[in-house]
Amino acid sequence: MKVSLKWLRELVDFPQDAQALATLLTHAGVEVEGIETKGVSIDHVVVAQILESEQHPNADRLSVCKVDDGSGEPRQIVCGAKNFKVGDKVPLAQPGAVMPGDFKIKVGKLRGVESQGMMCSAKELGISADGEGLLILDSNSSVGTPLKSLFPGDTILDLEITPNRADLLSHEGIAREVAALTGRSVKTPHVFVPEVAAADPIEVPAEGCLAYSVRALDGVCVQASPEWLRRRLESLGLRSINNVVDVTNWVMMELGQPLHAFDADKLQGAIRVRYAKEGESILALDGKKYVLTPEDLVIADDRAALAIAGVMGGEESGVDFSTKRVLLESATFDSARVRRTSRRLGLSSDSSYRFERGVDVAGVFRASQRAASLLAEVASAKFSALQIGRATGAVDFGALLQGLTPVKHVPLRLDRVVSILGAPVAEARIDQILTALGLTKDDGGWDVPSFRSDLTREIDLIEEIARVVGIEHFPATTRARFSESSETDRRYDRLMKMRRAAVGQGLFEARSLTLVSEAMAQSPFVRGSVLRVKNPLNEDQVVLRPSLVPGLAAAASRNARAGVKAIRLFEVGRVFFSEGVEERSHLAILLSGPACLPTWRCASAPEVDLFDLKGVLEAVVGRHLQFVPASAESPLGLVVEIRLAGKPIGMAGWFRPSVSREMDLSGNVLAAELSLDGILAEGDAQALYQELPRFPSVTRDIAFVAPKDLPHQRILEVLGEAKESLLGEVSLFDVFVDPKGEKLSMEQKSLAYSLTYRAPDRTLTADEVGVAHERLKQRILSELGVQVRE
Amino acid sequence: MEAQLESLRSDAIAAILACSGESELEQLRVRFLGRGGELTALSDRMREVSKEDKPRIGKLLNETRSAVTTTLDERKAALVAVQEAGAFSGIDVTLPGTAFPVGALHPITQLMDRATAIFRRMGFALADGPDIESEWHCFDALNTPADHPARNEQDTFYMPDGRLLRTHTSSIQIRTLERVSPPVRIIAPGAAYRRDEVDATHLAQFNQMEGLYVDEGVTLGDLRGTLEFFFRELFGKDAKFRFRPHFFPFTEPSFEVDIQSAALGTDRWLEIAGCGMVDPAVFDAVNERRGGRVLDPEIHTGFAFGFGLDRLAMIMAGVPDIRLFTDSDQRFLSQF
Repeated sequence: MKVSLKWLRELVDFPQDAQALATLLTHAGVEVEGIETKGVSIDHVVVAQILESEQHPNADRLSVCKVDDGSGEPRQIVCGAKNFKVGDKVPLAQPGAVMPGDFKIKVGKLRGVESQGMMCSAKELGISADGEGLLILDSNSSVGTPLKSLFPGDTILDLEITPNRADLLSHEGIAREVAALTGRSVKTPHVFVPEVAAADPIEVPAEGCLAYSVRALDGVCVQASPEWLRRRLESLGLRSINNVVDVTNWVMMELGQPLHAFDADKLQGAIRVRYAKEGESILALDGKKYVLTPEDLVIADDRAALAIAGVMGGEESGVDFSTKRVLLESATFDSARVRRTSRRLGLSSDSSYRFERGVDVAGVFRASQRAASLLAEVASAKFSALQIGRATGAVDFGALLQGLTPVKHVPLRLDRVVSILGAPVAEARIDQILTALGLTKDDGGWDVPSFRSDLTREIDLIEEIARVVGIEHFPATTRARFSESSETDRRYDRLMKMRRAAVGQGLFEARSLTLVSEAMAQSPFVRGSVLRVKNPLNEDQVVLRPSLVPGLAAAASRNARAGVKAIRLFEVGRVFFSEGVEERSHLAILLSGPACLPTWRCASAPEVDLFDLKGVLEAVVGRHLQFVPASAESPLGLVVEIRLAGKPIGMAGWFRPSVSREMDLSGNVLAAELSLDGILAEGDAQALYQELPRFPSVTRDIAFVAPKDLPHQRILEVLGEAKESLLGEVSLFDVFVDPKGEKLSMEQKSLAYSLTYRAPDRTLTADEVGVAHERLKQRILSELGVQVRE
Repeated sequence: MEAQLESLRSDAIAAILACSGESELEQLRVRFLGRGGELTALSDRMREVSKEDKPRIGKLLNETRSAVTTTLDERKAALVAVQEAGAFSGIDVTLPGTAFPVGALHPITQLMDRATAIFRRMGFALADGPDIESEWHCFDALNTPADHPARNEQDTFYMPDGRLLRTHTSSIQIRTLERVSPPVRIIAPGAAYRRDEVDATHLAQFNQMEGLYVDEGVTLGDLRGTLEFFFRELFGKDAKFRFRPHFFPFTEPSFEVDIQSAALGTDRWLEIAGCGMVDPAVFDAVNERRGGRVLDPEIHTGFAFGFGLDRLAMIMAGVPDIRLFTDSDQRFLSQF
């Protein structure tokens, strides 16, 4: 909402300058988003008439003019513009003028010819962006007049009006607010004249229109608006059309009531308010054709729709320079209906903006009268009949016609003020605040005028008090309470623990978007039907991601292209499915490139492989995981199922080299994704002390040649099945394969394990250990058919 | 015997001092002090010494043994010292250090965790709710009019079944009040969605931190005290506050919190949070759903607040483009 400071000062007398007013309003909840100065505020710029113009002797593009600036003596000015002719009146900056940018005008020589000032463009004066040529002034302007008085300066405040304060969408509304904040009173724009409606009422449907009136005006002389009217509207960013349309906009900006003017001679039959017919269309004032539905309210004559109620008038019934008779509409339309129509048509206007937020029904006739009196002044209009339309019994038209404003009663308890705000506010201060806002104290509460439709409950009045008093009045208090930790707290802590463990493993945390494209919803790991939004903004954000890996894979490619060598990413986040549990927590990890960064001590690092991924996963999850081979499909060359205590919780895989290359990743790419919900829901098990070994242990190694496909897991199982009570840790310390088949057959591998023996109650003898070790060796030999190497 | 001891002593000491290696030194120890060594051989001859000479010769023998031993030990210590010193010389201490490189938490996670830690110290517990939310939880129960612009499909993502992607974490206020009875003192970090075109300052998805305290006798002063304490902990003691009246459907009175602090990298006031006293209409809506009057607006009052973690992280770390947060560029992530 743009507000002219000059206009505001006409409505309320306050001492603050623009900056102070902005602070005052901002602190009261009306945020000032911008302050802009308009018009000319430069001294020594006057109207001058060009008396003669000649070619500059030394420059093709310059001319030498003689001008009359009213000082009695013609001045010589060198000028670069071409758009003028002798006799034109133009702005002249005399020596001494200080132009924007602190550019001082002096007498000087241009290419050897003296110039006693500068003729100006509109841009140079800061009036508009037009820098093409001189600003040619009205031929009636008198020579010597300061431009300041021709283009009076103004300051425009750009206010952000919150949706609850429809009453502030006018200069009068802002004036009321300023008056309440500064303790001044509002100068009402005009006096209300009680009037009686004409006999023939207007047909209005039962819903959608709270009040409707048209005022007939005859003998209207449509022409360009007078300077004051045009200039003020333009300073608020409105385009001047003609005196009739400009008056309707003036009144809207002044009182907040949108008005519309029809050309009465373009109508056929009686005007009425009705719902549009299915498929009915209208050519609106913006030159576009809109197709309506029976949900939309229109103003119509016998033949067709004339206007989309509250949104925009029609092109065909609008006022133009040939109009003689005007029907001036002033009405209140239902805000929800205007909003729906405006949204559906994608058409909004200053009118729909106000109706959507709510227009005070009590202002309908007043605005109509105000506009009529202005039209009498600027378009020599004569009023005739006022026709009104009534929809329901909710609005008392009789009272409105008499200028009586409906009020509603809202209770207010002083102790309630304290219990919400925390500190008392003196009753006298409360009375002063609410009275200044236009309320009247009455019977344990307050009567609220209809323009403050947002004040309906006690809490609304308390808010007004808090807003005007300011929060500084209510001391900050620190009030704490013990809170039990929630399930969410426990989940949060477990997640943070995993995140930190991931960081400890050299991983960087990604937070990808959850709304992804169809392509990004394709995961090599996660199957399941996805959820899509109904109204995506673009095709990049259609699906709620079912998997984290595609996001990490895309990030890996970006990192590789940016030159990152070791790509180590993880993400914990929500994924979504249309079946089963809808929102789930997943963890994903992606590794690519060297397993660690080469340093000066270790110039080459091995590339990451499945075992790096397994190790990292276990470190992050903090649990022992099982990895079971699963069938691999492209893009993966190797897939393993991840199990926790025997239950599948996710998948890990190794991308095929051709896929990695497509991803712009030169080396191995591995990724895993697993469900966290089970892990996060588990209680935190208390670790229990296990007695530290008091007697020394004995370690014996065992090495054997095994078929290449014999899994390590099987060897552990066989050792475990032996139930050897003295056996402690089993650790694999060497795996050897010979790809050339020279030292070892290509179908075989050599494995070496270190077996630790101990007893809790004694130091083992060499014989005891020897017997146990031999038994295990024999067991492996017989169970697995391997050849033990001595 | 005396002369022999004297000459052995001087020979041994001279040899030990001339020695320059540890193994050579060990050979000398064996030669003089070993089981078949020269001094041992002399001491074996004590039997031949006359009774009156025995104490004197015996003393001399001990003195000789002690002197040789001491010289040996000292010489060995000196040799070790020289050798060990050599092991440390010539190290270029300016070579880069090596460590297993750690990764990094996402800057938004870091900020979320800091904020969570502060609120927990103030007695807040965590709460949560779904991203896919019912219109009732996201709007109706939060006193948002049926025709409010935020509900329209231009601004909000809807699901085909009529639910929506929550436009703010305030829906978690309702999720919590539905289940828990006062006192309720929660914070809720989470994702929210708005149907915005993506640019340097907007994503269709962002992260918020929501807070709610409902109890008997909670006042605007408590709200002010809570947020001022929190933001001073986060930004530092210099933080200054401006509570600017504003409008939110679900709080009344409502405020926007502007903060001025060196931690925000500017001397301008920056709009950081929205807050207010819980509107009684929110209690009414929850009561209606729960049945009964668990939240009695005459007894219970409360405050709620929310702020955007992404924007705050951008301001605090000087990040110029919000998209850096979702790009997962390790060069970016490793800066925090």
